[in-house]
Amino acid sequence: MQRPLAAAADEVRGLLDARLVLVTGKGGTGKTTFSAALALLAAVRGRRVLLAEIDSQRPALAPVFGVEPRFQPQPVRDGLDISNLVWDEALQSFLAGLVPSRRVVRMILANRMVSRFIDFTPGSQEIVTLSALGDQVGRYDLVVADLPASGHAFSLLDITRSALGLFRSGPVRGRAEELRTLLGADSTRLALMALPEEMVVNETIETYERLCQFELISAAPVVFLNRATLPTLTDDERELLRRMSAVDQTPQQAEFLRAGRWENELEQGTAASQQRLDAMLPGTPVLVPPAQSGGRPKQAVGSVAAHLGRLVGVTRRELAWH
Amino acid sequence: MALTVDMEAWLSRTRLVVCVGAGGVGKTTTAASIGLAGAARGRKAMVLTIDPARRLANSLGLSGIGNAETRIDLTGLGLEAPGELWAMMLDSRSTFDSLIARVSPDEESRDRILGNRLYRHMADTFAGSQDYMATEKLYDIFASEKYDLIVLDTPPVKNALDFLESPGRLINFMDERVLQWFVKPADGETGRRFLMSTSTVVSRLLAYVFGKDFIDDLAVFFQDFQGLYKGFIARNDAVLALYRDPTTSFVTVTSPTESSLDVATFFQEELTRRELPRGGIVVNQVHCCDRTEHDAKDPLGAMAQELSVDLSPTTAPALLARLGMAHRRLRALREAEQAQTVNVRAAGAGGGFYQEVARLDGNVHDLAALSEVGRLLFSPADEL
Repeated sequence: MQRPLAAAADEVRGLLDARLVLVTGKGGTGKTTFSAALALLAAVRGRRVLLAEIDSQRPALAPVFGVEPRFQPQPVRDGLDISNLVWDEALQSFLAGLVPSRRVVRMILANRMVSRFIDFTPGSQEIVTLSALGDQVGRYDLVVADLPASGHAFSLLDITRSALGLFRSGPVRGRAEELRTLLGADSTRLALMALPEEMVVNETIETYERLCQFELISAAPVVFLNRATLPTLTDDERELLRRMSAVDQTPQQAEFLRAGRWENELEQGTAASQQRLDAMLPGTPVLVPPAQSGGRPKQAVGSVAAHLGRLVGVTRRELAWH
Repeated sequence: MALTVDMEAWLSRTRLVVCVGAGGVGKTTTAASIGLAGAARGRKAMVLTIDPARRLANSLGLSGIGNAETRIDLTGLGLEAPGELWAMMLDSRSTFDSLIARVSPDEESRDRILGNRLYRHMADTFAGSQDYMATEKLYDIFASEKYDLIVLDTPPVKNALDFLESPGRLINFMDERVLQWFVKPADGETGRRFLMSTSTVVSRLLAYVFGKDFIDDLAVFFQDFQGLYKGFIARNDAVLALYRDPTTSFVTVTSPTESSLDVATFFQEELTRRELPRGGIVVNQVHCCDRTEHDAKDPLGAMAQELSVDLSPTTAPALLARLGMAHRRLRALREAEQAQTVNVRAAGAGGGFYQEVARLDGNVHDLAALSEVGRLLFSPADEL
């Protein structure tokens, strides 16, 4: 029992000590909650952290911290800022970096042709958004980016590669090159969120393989198996459950047995997922138990942060925020 | 008490089902089970997926589905008068190429676009976004009239109904006035057209930011593309008309978790706003647990004793205690799920059926499990 926990602690420390952590996974795997928990933990450990949501039309991070979503980073507790990197404001800031006059920037942005051009030009939104993320990396000790679901996240990161074919010169190409270097750096880490379900595990492995195939990330990923249920039923108990499920039952009996099979399936699913992720990906998958939150996002973040904190020796009290 | 919706009647008047929803909510399973239900009722059904993952193949019990129309063998199901079930994965790159071929007035303009440097990169990038060409192939399949039921499994879109807007995005930009802005009247000597690169600050800046090479590529692309514009418009109008057709039905699929219900609520609002035909809401993977009594000893004590004589003596009491705790947790989960579905039901009011599909033991990856999902899906539903 000691060794797996020590390995999990090392994986978590690896992320806490990185400069940029990109968090992705299949939809519904708990990316946002995890990103917030990781950022919070890093801040408690004394790093200056930015937690960034990427072009989310439905910002989920700001409500967790009880603030209005904003592009400009805003502090939510000691050492922790949050930001929603929406692409239109990212564009404004991108242009402001290239064009000295604010008036000209405003003029460009007001031009109907420009908005159509950007809307149409493949990858321009993504480059500009990633660029805003890249801008923040130097300003904080750690930036945690809550990326979109894995399919979209892949397209987003892959833009740094395809843009090199599309734009043969100019500042956009320059940014794409810089971003590619940033993504490939050792201090940039990828956190992949998975759930103990066969299809989610398959997609997690596929995502990693695609990112490797296109050489988008070079540091090893850390896989988190979220909502993991640790095996507690003994072999005998499982056998008895199987026998009882096979005989005739009243509806009341059936309901208890269904509850038992549900729990057993969660345990078995966790064990199988853990084994497969361990075999297919570098590193050790880190198990995260279901958040004790009653469906409230803030409590969910606190619960996941507390679990990660236990692994690296941070107490729940240190993690409190208002 | 809510009114009841006859799901059979809904299916029989529907020719196109568009399944929308967040990722990981069983959208593909729902799409496949609607297709299978149609086939079981004698229809010739096609299930289209855009997802490169093997979900549809998995749930149909196949090892993979290609970009060609694949017929699914239904003989194992013992159906009385089966129709046909087909499946296909949409490959956006080849679809984009065939779209260009279709709207090109002649072979020469087609070849020029397909060979265009910018087009090749653009097609790749759009292919990466996956949803862009979904509607295109859908229309092809529909227009072929080979199927009387088509079910589209849409990709998990980040921002609502993006896939509906993607053809419009291209058209917006291809607007002839925009083309004129980028392309100058022909130069008599070479026949080439030039970008009005220095006429305004804006165009200078675009050239600066994106690189002059790109703007030059773009001018050539527009020049090549001009002849295709009318074809694009006609195509887009036809696709939009198909979505608004009364025999089309948008089904919002969700699981009973807060985040996916949020997305489903948003979809309901969007469908209403766009006046698209709403079929209803399917809530998948619902946990069933009706009773509030959590002590398993009374109902199951005797059975547990009897069946555990050869097992360790602590097995029966330990398992009974575990069953009680599991039941308590399952019940709490069920109550939370019921509370969480209130919003989506309100947002969907007047928009067809509300159907909860209980979670099955084990994964859905064969036709038998899929038809069990279909049985639950096609039992009478509440009216929204």
